[in-house]
Amino acid sequence: MTLLSLLSLQKDFGKMRAVNGVSLDIAENEFFALLGASGSGKTTLLRMLAGFELPSAGQILLDGRDIAQTPPNKRPVNLMFQSYALFPHMSVAKNIAYGLEMEKLPKSEITSRVGEILETIQLSALANRKPDQLSGGQRQRVALARALVKRPRLLLLDEPLGALDKKLRGEMQLELKRIQADFGITFIVVTHDQEEALVMADRIAILKDGALLQVGTPHDIYEHPTSRFAADFIGVMNFFPVHCDGGALRTGKGTLIRATIPDGLTGAAVAAVRPERLRLEVTGCDNILTGRVMALAYHGLDLLLHVETPLAPQPVTIRLTADQAEAHALSPGDPVTLGWSARDTRVFAA
Amino acid sequence: MRDRRPLFLMTPALAWLTAFMVVPCLLILALAFFRRGLYGGIDYTLTWENIALVFDPLYAGIFLKSAWIAGLSALIAVILGYAAAYAIAAMPRRHQPLLLFFAVLPFWSNYLVRTYAWIVLLNREGLIVHLARLLGFEGELPRMLYTETAVVIGLVYNYLPFVILACYAPLSRLNPEVTEASRDLGASPWTTFRRVVLPMTVPGIATGFTFVFVLSIGNFVTPALLGGGQFQMIGNLVYAQFLTANDWPFGAALSIFLIAIMMGLLTLQTFASEKASGGRNA
Amino acid sequence: MRNAPLPLMLAILAGVFAFLYLPISVLVALSFNDGGLPTAWTGFSTKWYGALFANADIMGAALNTLIVAVISTILATLFGTLLAVGVEIRRRKGRFLETLIFAPMIIPDIVLAIALLSFFSLLGVTMGLHTIILAHVVFNLAFVCSVVRARLKTFDWSIVEASTDLGAPTFTTLRRVIIPVLSPAIIAGALLAFTLSVDEFVIAFFTAGAGRASTTLPMQIYAMIRFGVTPEINALATIVMGISVLALTLSQRLNRGGLPGQ
Repeated sequence: MTLLSLLSLQKDFGKMRAVNGVSLDIAENEFFALLGASGSGKTTLLRMLAGFELPSAGQILLDGRDIAQTPPNKRPVNLMFQSYALFPHMSVAKNIAYGLEMEKLPKSEITSRVGEILETIQLSALANRKPDQLSGGQRQRVALARALVKRPRLLLLDEPLGALDKKLRGEMQLELKRIQADFGITFIVVTHDQEEALVMADRIAILKDGALLQVGTPHDIYEHPTSRFAADFIGVMNFFPVHCDGGALRTGKGTLIRATIPDGLTGAAVAAVRPERLRLEVTGCDNILTGRVMALAYHGLDLLLHVETPLAPQPVTIRLTADQAEAHALSPGDPVTLGWSARDTRVFAA
Repeated sequence: MRDRRPLFLMTPALAWLTAFMVVPCLLILALAFFRRGLYGGIDYTLTWENIALVFDPLYAGIFLKSAWIAGLSALIAVILGYAAAYAIAAMPRRHQPLLLFFAVLPFWSNYLVRTYAWIVLLNREGLIVHLARLLGFEGELPRMLYTETAVVIGLVYNYLPFVILACYAPLSRLNPEVTEASRDLGASPWTTFRRVVLPMTVPGIATGFTFVFVLSIGNFVTPALLGGGQFQMIGNLVYAQFLTANDWPFGAALSIFLIAIMMGLLTLQTFASEKASGGRNA
Repeated sequence: MRNAPLPLMLAILAGVFAFLYLPISVLVALSFNDGGLPTAWTGFSTKWYGALFANADIMGAALNTLIVAVISTILATLFGTLLAVGVEIRRRKGRFLETLIFAPMIIPDIVLAIALLSFFSLLGVTMGLHTIILAHVVFNLAFVCSVVRARLKTFDWSIVEASTDLGAPTFTTLRRVIIPVLSPAIIAGALLAFTLSVDEFVIAFFTAGAGRASTTLPMQIYAMIRFGVTPEINALATIVMGISVLALTLSQRLNRGGLPGQ
């Protein structure tokens, strides 16, 4: 069931159009990610949902009701701030109780709900601490609890894991997913970290220059990017500049690249393939390429091989497992032959 | 959303400043162009006389004298203050706040009291003369109180803490790695100071100098108490126009020049700060 | 700067601190000197303090100063704080506005003094303590504003939005979030204003009007220095310095270690 509908939402700051005609439906209970680089308009979009910015045009329908003009303190929508925005003069428990006090709930209910949520985030022991006596991870959980305890229809999270270190970030990605499922609340996460979006979200929207570029599941977006930007932004991708002529792709050197070509594409284009789709055993491959190993980079379990080829200005990257790498015993300077299938090739207009 | 609240919050203060600062200052500006009344009042006929009178050699001389004393005081205060700030910044980090606190503390004790302390020291029957006698000095010491030197000492003494504060701010923000980089690249400590530290701390020096100069040139208390009426500074002249000579229009004209000097210096100071920070604060 | 020669630095500090503290230490010492003269120490005594408290003129002036300082501090703290919050939540920074707020702190006191004197005279206002208060609020509010603004520079405005987001109306946010977080700076600003007002001489001198009724302590001190120094003045100086130093110390304390998370 649709919880939130954005209809042609637009926001101008003076002459600058920060959000440009965004239309989007988000379902009840969905974990949705707004992914974009800085300046893509994702934060402005989030702030319009929270009520801190008024749209210049368009509608925000929550449960079918337009809330675009409703002040932030009257919306069943809560925001977890990027800086966490914890009140420095209040204890953890007071911070969490604040939103419930604003609803004028009876004291006993506030106490029990605060206690409950402190259990959930495993911070009961620190209820009387001030924010500056907490670690970054603990602060993050308090901020989450403070927004969550109000049981909003929609919870917005602005770069929720941005301030955490890498290891903690991995743990919290799963934790956020668990909490979202337990509470049954719709989450919209704003992030610039594509990996975070892929891991956590049910669906992802990629924003560029204030407009939606592509909306889909992580699998859709990763495997079937609809634009060169999306292909480049998500994960690692190898690009080959090609020329599309009469249903065939040729590189500048004249090498033919086999792929499914989108309808109507002619002229300058790029062919793209993911590093994990490239193979060193080229038998049965539709496309074959030779080159020279430039560098090997270990990433624990797998290994990235950077290969200099005549086809692309940038080195081509291949992902190998540690076993495969060992079997081939490659070192910089060695000649290699790479192959991949037409099925794994994506083609975009240049 | 946020656009109307600020105005509402600022209104009481801005109204107050307008009523009791802007309007009175505009009034002074207007007064400077009227004639002095026969019995000390104001004759509302427009005239340039007061402005012209400021350039009369007698008064222009007082202006120059005031500027000389203010400039000398500012210069001495900046040299002492910069040295002190540099020394504080060279101490271990954890001691710096306390040292700074004690450097600034005298600034918050009463101005008159601090000036009076120098009367006690410099007096003909004062502590310094007395100490000199104790040390066996026989002859007659030159007069110290009621001299130009006494006024300069008093001004430097009163405003030195502020200069220390102003110079300390950029010195403490200076990344030690920057000076280390300069040493690493082969510069001597003195060259490092001259070509790296000093240019980066110009804003503090400019602020300190401007502050001492502006406060000194309009000061009438220190010349009156430590100069003992031996010579006049602009502050005393303004004071006299309003409280003894009863020539308000001329006093107003003098004040306008005082403000003009102050604004000119502040503009220079802003310029110096912006230049030192690469214009990023502009 | 760690490679600065330490002995030289210590020598500079010793010299500057001696210059700063010797003169006022002499006053404090003299205030306890039985003979009262700087030329000879004739024994410890608190008699000058006794004389001070018996002097009706000085006590009257002290009371006037207290009235002026307290009232002007209250008004200035209120106006200055609101001004600071208003200026900082405004997104556009106006040069004119900045100058207007900055002006009371840098305008030569003699200029503001004669401007107010002319203003009150031409309006036919009888001058007295009330006009001193009006004048003192002008610069005091600017100082309070600057202290509070300094705190607001590092203020995380998202806590204001967080409060709104959690359902609080504007006034509740002001009362429960903004004021408590700013309170150390507000109190520090108030103490600063109080100190400035207690010490201020030039503007009070010009706006006090005629007669002894509105003489403040600095005016009294000025008169005593000019027209006959009595040893009582050392005691008075010591007390006045003590009050200022106490207020400043308190103000510094509050503004530094006050709040967690700064």
